[in-house]
Order: sequence, then structure tokens, then C-alpha cells
Amino acid sequence: MAEDIKQAAPPKMKVTIDNISVEVDPGTTILQAARMIGGEVTPPAMCFYTPLKGSGGKCRTCLVEVSKGSEKDPRPMPKLVASCRTGVMDGMEVKNITSQRVLGARAGVVEFLLLNHPLDCPICDQAGECHLQDLSYEHGKEGTRYEFKKRTFKKHNLGQYIQLHMTRCILCYRCVFTADQVTNKRQHGVLDRGDHAEIATYIEKSLDNDFIGNVIDVCPVGALTDKTFRFKNRVWFTKPEDAHRDCDKCCGKVTLWKRGDEVLRVTARKDQWGEVMNDEEGKTGWICNECRFEKKDVKDWVIEGPTKVSRHSVIGVNHYEVLDKPDETVAKVMGGRQPKLLLDIHSISDVNDPSVDLSKISGPATGAVFNHKQLTENTE
Amino acid sequence: MGRKLLLEKAHVEGIRYFDTYRREGGYRSVEKVLKTMAPDEVTEEVKKSGLRGRGGAGFPTGMKWSFLAKPEGIPRHLVVNADESEPGTFKDRYLMEHIPHLLVEGIIVASYALGSNTSFIYIRGEYAWIVDILEQAIQEARNNGFLGKNILGSGFDCDIHVQRGAGAYICGEETALLESLEGKRGNPRIKPPFPAVKGVWDRPTVVNNVESIAAVVPIINEGGEEYAKIGMGKSTGTKLISACGNINKPGVYEIDMTISVEEFIYSDEWCGGIANGKRLKACIPGGSSVPILPANLLLTTAKGEQRMMNYESLSDGGFQTGSMMGSGGFIVFDEDQCVVKHTYTLARFYRHESCGQCSPCREGTGWMEKLLLRLDKGQGKMSDIDLLWDIQSKIEGNTICPLGDAAAWPVAAAIRHFRDEFEWHITNAGEAQIRNFGLAHYADAREAVTA
Repeated sequence: MAEDIKQAAPPKMKVTIDNISVEVDPGTTILQAARMIGGEVTPPAMCFYTPLKGSGGKCRTCLVEVSKGSEKDPRPMPKLVASCRTGVMDGMEVKNITSQRVLGARAGVVEFLLLNHPLDCPICDQAGECHLQDLSYEHGKEGTRYEFKKRTFKKHNLGQYIQLHMTRCILCYRCVFTADQVTNKRQHGVLDRGDHAEIATYIEKSLDNDFIGNVIDVCPVGALTDKTFRFKNRVWFTKPEDAHRDCDKCCGKVTLWKRGDEVLRVTARKDQWGEVMNDEEGKTGWICNECRFEKKDVKDWVIEGPTKVSRHSVIGVNHYEVLDKPDETVAKVMGGRQPKLLLDIHSISDVNDPSVDLSKISGPATGAVFNHKQLTENTE
Repeated sequence: MGRKLLLEKAHVEGIRYFDTYRREGGYRSVEKVLKTMAPDEVTEEVKKSGLRGRGGAGFPTGMKWSFLAKPEGIPRHLVVNADESEPGTFKDRYLMEHIPHLLVEGIIVASYALGSNTSFIYIRGEYAWIVDILEQAIQEARNNGFLGKNILGSGFDCDIHVQRGAGAYICGEETALLESLEGKRGNPRIKPPFPAVKGVWDRPTVVNNVESIAAVVPIINEGGEEYAKIGMGKSTGTKLISACGNINKPGVYEIDMTISVEEFIYSDEWCGGIANGKRLKACIPGGSSVPILPANLLLTTAKGEQRMMNYESLSDGGFQTGSMMGSGGFIVFDEDQCVVKHTYTLARFYRHESCGQCSPCREGTGWMEKLLLRLDKGQGKMSDIDLLWDIQSKIEGNTICPLGDAAAWPVAAAIRHFRDEFEWHITNAGEAQIRNFGLAHYADAREAVTA
């Protein structure tokens, strides 16, 4: 029996990323090692997706500089390497945010990714949980130097479940890997090449394989979105709750995105890197089409409690009062003096009144919220 | 006149057919290696010859062969890269059209050295008629016992398959080629693992250029040390150069890498000088992706030495003042050629041929093309030149495969050496539409820089 044979654990490898050392198992990639450290030293990743075999290496946002190859061979690597696909070596030293080269290259990649991206965030269902938004806020420049018409595509209809916006796609290939590895047959792929490459089914066909809904979860941008959730609500107004049901096809463990008692959307549970989490048995928690698209009633689910939202802060904002609020720093840096208020906007406008706690109302704030407050004040 | 090893017999009547080729001394090397040499000895011989890969990068072929992993029980493969799609390069086409048996002979020898029982020729789809020529040559070799089971009674089996590409430049990149050979979309793989460990169908694979494999034949016939005596320094043997552009005698020439660039362009034996009595302005010495050089830097290096037609001398001075031997696509420009337009043409090619897998190349090549078109049409801004420079620096070295570099280098070199021509296109926009910048100072002698 394999379990009976006691193998000595292979020696851990020490890798130093931005002067922080961590010991990892052999075979770990630089990106995974950096994620163990966490925080700012973790390179962003747009195409790598841990549960998908063969993903990564394409978007080039996770480029890092290897300043020392290993203990045995201390030569630095001449080029920047994709940290998601480069394994660690013992004694390796990696520079991420401490390297100007890396920061420059990454800003370049962000600019490239945004060249032909429509930036239609105000009408995009992904806005608020979009990795490209996060990436451009964290690593991009404020403007673009691109002065030409953006590339557009002919529209393809992928059927009743999935909406494709090819103009938003960054060609990460995650959905292709998902269809290959999670569904029984891949029906879509990348057609054409270069900047006119597109995700499509070649002959207009709908994507309706079971488990194909997972391509929505893996899509880092708003290229593949849920048709049953389309334009229903902004994600930051919905409240995510962990829930489960007995499903004979999948693990049945999901996140419900609710507004009041209405279930607007069902997704797989994701970890802090936006990747679908493993369940207790170590299996990836992909969910089936039935759970995702058909079960939109609270009665179908056993609710476990609110989902912890950490990374995609815009979703977390206004939901839970327990969130840490940043300190007031103005007084500190001004030697104890408070900033001089030229005009207190709250004295002339009802909007954004600090006495209205937005986290306590269900849904977006409207005039009615503030007016109602006035009414109650008046009656008091 | 230099020695010819590859094209010596290329013009013998009927050399395309087995009987003539055999009568002219063909397939001697196969007999020699199968009867007298062990596979490792063949590799050793190629190492001794100092043969450098003829596909562009110039990596020593013998070294590449010795890196091939040889795990027990897993077949190994030799794949010949005949996906010659670089603008300006057409040497392999000439070789395969005229003397296909030389390639077949080389493949048998190389397959024996590498232990490949099934070898492949991946040929670009546009070379449709050459597929027939090769298939016929392979069939003839098979009929005469040089391919198939138990070749010449040695116990070594080998067969060759010809696979056509479907019209993608990217499939000339070795890992994209392997993907395409497997029947998948020709996206380059992320390395490591290298093909020598995991190549086609995850088996150890060596990918070599047509000319490199053909060069194995004279190496075995003459002996590696004898071969290494031809040429200069680390540029051993002979090299096929496909010369084109504004010259009197465009064509494929075999040189022994001891002649100077000046001699190559102006001698009647080779290119025969610039056509129509014009003057030389610039030249791309190694296929479209290597840096372009102005006339003064082409003929003499920055140190003031004469530039020779070999790997070291062409790359002397790095990318600041040098270029590369590349794949031997020698493109000559006369004084009436516009560098801006030419750079735009190349940028358009690379935009069209990018596979679209990694973002810097996919988006950057399109951006550069649009900027260059605008500059060429006289609608550019001064800041566009710096922007182009910045874009190319963000692409170079940050992509999965060398196509990103290949797209970035020509733009970088054109700006580096011809910046005033770009500026003239902006300051004299109207004039730029009706006449060329001309030779300007690009042929003036440079002050020699001594280190």
C-alpha cells in the first residue's frame, strides 16, 4: 500500500522574494511561494489559475526578476520570468516590487491589456469583481497613450446561459482550459490569431454542456458573464452568503449573491485570489449548471452565513460593519491640527449624509433614504 | 571563389532524382555512419565541426544534440524545421527544390545520431510543390533501401514524414511547430521544459533547420575537423545566404564566411553591386527580424574594422552598432528606399503573424503598426518616435517566444540608426509624401571608436 511506505518528506526549498524568505516544497512555483508570503510581494496573475492544469504564462503580468538562480547556480536569469510557470530552486532570490525592471514591464503589460479593452465598466456586470480593474488600479498608469480606434468583434451568441463580450476579453485561455478539464467536451476555442484572435464556437453553437457555467467564474474580466444575472444589479449592492444544497452532480457548495431575499446570482466559492476553492476532500469546488442557473430561490439552499470578502474590497464595503476602517491621518501629519473646513458639504446637501449608515440599508442609496430620514427627524 | 559544400552539385542535370544523386556521390555519409560509426561518434563529429544552427539563433548543433534526453523506452524524434517564413529568407526553399536528397541524407544521418526512428519535416504550407519533391525523394530513398526497416542491414530503422503547415509564421518557432505537428493550434509553449526533454507528444525532440541538417552530410563525409577549418573563428563551414533587394543579382549564394560584406554586395561573383547604379543606403543582413544597419555601419564596424560575412563580425558591437547573421536573409536597400515605410511593412507583418497568446506581443505589435502607418502617411507627431521606442522596449524580452523580440528589434534599430529620417517625416510631412529622404549621411564614414 502506498500509504504504508513512509517516504521521507523531500527537503524544503528556501526562496527569498523581495528580501522575505519562505520555505516551500519542491515543485512550487514562484507565484505560489509569493502567495504564501502574501501582501504586496505577490505578483498579480490574470491568466494563471491554480485548479486549471497548463494555465498561466500568457498574460505576462506576473513577470519577476530572478536575481539569483539557486544556491548551486547563483547566476541571475537574463530575462524577466513568468512567476506562475517558473519553479523555485533552493536559495533562489526573486525581486518583484523591489525591481524597477519588473515594475516598468508590468506597467507596460497593463497598458497593453487596456489598449483594446473597451473600459465600459459602468455597464459591465463584472465591474467590482474584475481582476483587470484591480490590476489597472494597482499597477497601471492613470492614462493611455493609445490614440487609435479600439478593436471590435462581430457578436457571437453562446446560448441561453453565457453572455460573451469579446471586446472585453484579454485572451487568458482560462475558459478554454476549463471547458477541456471540467466539462465533458470543449465546444469553444480561440479562433484566428494575433490581435484579432477571439473566443468563439466557430459554427454558431450554444455552450450548454454541464459545468460549462464555470467559465463565468474563471473569466478574469467581463468577457463571459451570467445571462441570468445580466444587468440585474451591481455586485457591490448584492450580499454574498455561503450556502449549500444536496446536488448529485457537483459539490453543491456555492456563494449566493442576494439582494434582500432574492437570489440574483449563484457562483462557486472563491478564495482570496479569486480562484474556485477546494472542498474538504481537496477537490475543486466547480458547480454544475443546475446549481448555478436554475436554483435561484432561497428555499433551494441551506444558508451557512455571510461570505468573507477580503480582496475585492468594493464588494465588502458597506456590507459588514466589522470591517477595519482606516485611521484618520490628517491630524497626525499636521501636528495635531484638524484640517480647516472651507465648506461643510453636509450642511447644504442631503446626499452622502454621514448620519445615514449606508451599510444598514438594503440596496443602493436613493433620494428616498435621505428624504425618509428627514421625515423621521421632523416627526421627532 | 569559396568552397561549396551544399550547392556544389545543385545544378547537375537530374540531381533531384536518386540515381543521379547517388552517382554523384550521394548517400556516402549514410553508408559511413551506419557501417563504421556509433551514434555518439556522429554527435561528436558534429560537435567538432563547430556547426552553428542555421535557422537564426546560431546555437551549436552538436551541443543541441548532446542535450537530448535519452530516457529508457521512450521514442525520440528529429523534426526538421522547413517552415521558412521570414521575409527575405528563401535559402531552404532553394536547397529543397534543387537537391532534396541532400536533406533526406542529412536526416537519416542525424536520425541515426539521435536515435530517432520516425523523423518529420515540417514544411510551410505555401511551399506546396516542394512537398511533392520531398515526398518523391523520400520514396526513392525508401525504394533503394536507405529508409525503412533495417537500413543497409545495420538494424537501424528510420522513416521520414512530411507535414505541411497551414500558413503561420509563428509555426517556425520550434515549440509552436511541435504543437502544430501534434495537430493543435500553433501557440508557442512555455519553456522550460525544452523540446530536448519534452518535445513532440512529450517525447525528447530535436528541432533543426533544413540547412543545419543538410550540413551534416559534408561534415560526415569530410570529417568534423576538416569542416571546422572552413570559415573564420566560431563561424565554421559554409552558409547559404539568400540575397534580395536592390542588387543586380538576387539569389541564393553559398559563402564560406571569410568574405567581407562589401565584397559580397559589390563583387560580380555574388550580388553584383547595387542595381541601376544607385548607392547603398542600408541593409538587413540576416532576415527581417534582425536589426537594420546603415551603409556606413554595415561595411565597417564601430571599431573601424571591415565587417565580414560571419556570425561574430555581423554581431560586432551588439545591437548598438551591429546586427546578426540570423537566417541569412540578406536584404539590400538603395538610396531611394524609405526606412519608415519599410519599418511599417515589417511591423504589419509581425502584427499579422503574432499568435495572440501573450499580451505584449499581441497588443504591442498592433500599436506599433498603427503608429508607423501614421508616421509614414505624414500624420505623426514627434512624441510618436519616443513612444515607439518605449513600446518596443516593453515587448522585447517580455514575451513567451522570440516573435516579440523579432517584432521589436527592427523597429528599435530603425529608430536607433535612422531617427532623422523619422523626424523628417514629421517636420516635412508634405514633402515626405512625394519624395524620399534619400541617402543623407548614412554612407558617410564614421569616426572609429576605439575602446
